[in-house]
Amino acid sequence: MAASLNAILTKSPVPSVVGLPPTIPEDVCQPNSFADDLLRYTPVATLILDAALQIRQVSDSYLRVSGANNRNHVVGHYAPNIFHQTVTFPAHASAREALQIAQDTGSVQQVQHLTNDNRAWTIRAVPVVRHGSLRYFQMEFTDTTEQRRQQLELEERLYTNECYRALVETVKDYAIFMLDPDGNVATWNAGAQAFKGYKPSEIIGRHFSNFYSEDDRRAGKPERELVDALRDGRCEDEGWRYRSDGSRFWANVVITTIYKDGAHLGFSKVTRDLTERRKSERKLISAYEEASKLKSEFLANMSHEIRTPMHGMLSALTLLLDTRLDENQLDLAHVIQESGEVLLQVINDILDYSKLASGSFSISQDIISVVDIIQSVFRAHLRCSKPGVALESYVDPNLPKAAEGDSLRYRQIIQNFLSNATKFTEEGYVRITAKVDKEDDEYYTILTEVVDTGIGIPAESTKTLFTPFTQFDNSATKRYKGTGLGLSICKSLAELMGGNIGYHANPEGRGSIFWFTAKLKKCKQAKIVEVLAGNMEALKSPSPISANPMQEIKVAAAGKRLLLTEDNFINRKVMLQMLSGLGFENIDVASDGKEAVAKASIEPTPYDLILMDVNMPVQDGVSATKELREKGLKVPIVAMTANALKGHAETYIAKGMSGYIAKPVDRNLLIKLLLKCLQRQDDG
Amino acid sequence: MSIPGAEDTIDPATFEQILEMDEDEVDREFSKSIVFDFFGQAESTFAKMDSSLDKKEKDYLKTLSELGHFLKGSSATLGLTKVKDSCEKIQHYGSLKDDAGTKDITEKQAQDKLLTIIAQAKEEFSEVEDVLRKFYKDA
Repeated sequence: MAASLNAILTKSPVPSVVGLPPTIPEDVCQPNSFADDLLRYTPVATLILDAALQIRQVSDSYLRVSGANNRNHVVGHYAPNIFHQTVTFPAHASAREALQIAQDTGSVQQVQHLTNDNRAWTIRAVPVVRHGSLRYFQMEFTDTTEQRRQQLELEERLYTNECYRALVETVKDYAIFMLDPDGNVATWNAGAQAFKGYKPSEIIGRHFSNFYSEDDRRAGKPERELVDALRDGRCEDEGWRYRSDGSRFWANVVITTIYKDGAHLGFSKVTRDLTERRKSERKLISAYEEASKLKSEFLANMSHEIRTPMHGMLSALTLLLDTRLDENQLDLAHVIQESGEVLLQVINDILDYSKLASGSFSISQDIISVVDIIQSVFRAHLRCSKPGVALESYVDPNLPKAAEGDSLRYRQIIQNFLSNATKFTEEGYVRITAKVDKEDDEYYTILTEVVDTGIGIPAESTKTLFTPFTQFDNSATKRYKGTGLGLSICKSLAELMGGNIGYHANPEGRGSIFWFTAKLKKCKQAKIVEVLAGNMEALKSPSPISANPMQEIKVAAAGKRLLLTEDNFINRKVMLQMLSGLGFENIDVASDGKEAVAKASIEPTPYDLILMDVNMPVQDGVSATKELREKGLKVPIVAMTANALKGHAETYIAKGMSGYIAKPVDRNLLIKLLLKCLQRQDDG
Repeated sequence: MSIPGAEDTIDPATFEQILEMDEDEVDREFSKSIVFDFFGQAESTFAKMDSSLDKKEKDYLKTLSELGHFLKGSSATLGLTKVKDSCEKIQHYGSLKDDAGTKDITEKQAQDKLLTIIAQAKEEFSEVEDVLRKFYKDA
């Protein structure tokens, strides 16, 4: 082929003269000829060259695109010269090359030319051969900018698709696959295979619920997830997923709904294996918990170890204060004492806090009386209240006289609230109120509030009030001492009691309201206790004082039978003597609680009143009383106790005693108490 | 009526209450019997305390606490304030509490404190015993 072409080319005239004046050959310029019309008006920019590369014909469209306004500037000219003019028509540069190659090879050439302004021209050089010799060249210029753009886009799209496919298929750390709208697996990647153990042939076409546990499937979880994904566009879940071999892994799963051109194609599902991460999370959490527990235990131990010598120090100090000190020494000793007491309080707080934090704190369930607790704390504060501050207490008369709870912890919260309130209040009032917030068959929920007109709490501090170790006055010149633990301890205590704690500003403008709730269980024998507690109320209320109680008790004693329960024979002997002196002739004795229960639980009970020592061997007085009350015994039971401990007396009454008298028994008090009890018996 | 020489060891009001129970103010049969019963009880209780603290058998502290409480009851009834107070301390120490019965102490501390307080209680007892024996002209 090349040889024959060369043969042709050698025969064709070679342009030897450059820059000759254009001559217009007659045969192509014949007006109105069909060929002339065709060439002149074709929309494809066209040049016709003769074998000598002289331009013989030109289309109007060429003149337009090349910017050569005048056809006479083109026709008859030597084409390579025209093609040098690349400024007006950059595609000329490629036309030259195409022509050259077409001339050399005798075959149709098509080249693309990209201009600097990103336009694309396709240039075709068509050699026209007749009888073995080259006669003409047809040069066409087509603006293919648009086609090229589309082409590029297509290529890019193909490339991207290909990339994505490769990406999805080869990713091993994620299971990525498609579900059809019914939830059947449609595609499967390497990650999916690696995670779940299914080969594509084993899983494609099967429902994706195969990856879920039996329980999840029964609960309809897979279906629910598809519904959620349809509704929200996507659905994320963390949980156990199962492999083909039945083993499981902790997975994060994202299901996304896929639409194409508005039609629902199905869902994409991306699953990550979080087993390792979950394991390390677990490890971290347990390490943290362990550390935190150790910290709390350490704190508790430390506090305990500090507390013991502190007590020693404070006791020694008390003794020292009793010795003869001069004024200066006395002052110093008082400073030590005061600081020591503050320090002890701090340590006690930390001990409580660390016990609470380590979870080793428990709440006891005794029978308590909220009213008594509030009144006793209130009385204690009354003694040390500031002159300009009115201390008030409002207690709902509907509060239960007895319920199950922890009086010590209840008291601790009230104590904390009240001492805070009095500490921060210089004038106005501090008021404690308590009422039944809710009541059901089993529990009372008691709301206790302490309202003051003190300095109040700045709004920005209210959030951290119950956070440990924070005090809203953190300035260097702290006016108020404390650990910042009190309220956080109260919070934990309230929560342990099944309640809540909170703060809001005093709506009257100045000061604070601290409140807490506690759930107290109703007690079984509440009825009897309440009746008896009611009796006690009657006892406390002033009644006409008789002119001669001695005479009165002798009248009341006539025909009465008592049971005296007391383990110490000396006390027994004294009590017997005292009682017989009061006119009681019929007195049985029991030396412990058990004996008392045995003697008093005969039906009907032979006694009009029982005197009950509290601390006794075998069975103590409190439990004996409880037992007797449970058996339905209603006669008054009077506790005799040498326990001067605060709060104990209230407890005895709450536990079913009708009254109490301190040891050593004062005769006049005993007369009063016996009169009240016996008179009530007679009235009843 | 107070006992001469024992104003700070015997609570007059309480003791007087006992004396008032006597039918005869000369022979004071009842109160005397009570007081002498108490002497016996105190001595036997102190002996039990000593042996408990010495042997340290199982629950010896609890036993000491109970003994303290026991003697506290009768001494309180007679108004023997000092003995009563010491007995109360014995009761507290025996339950591993401090003087006031509110704060915890260690077993070692309890042992030391018990040793001291029992000795003190005995001394206080013998002091008041002397006074009372004189009062009842039994010395």
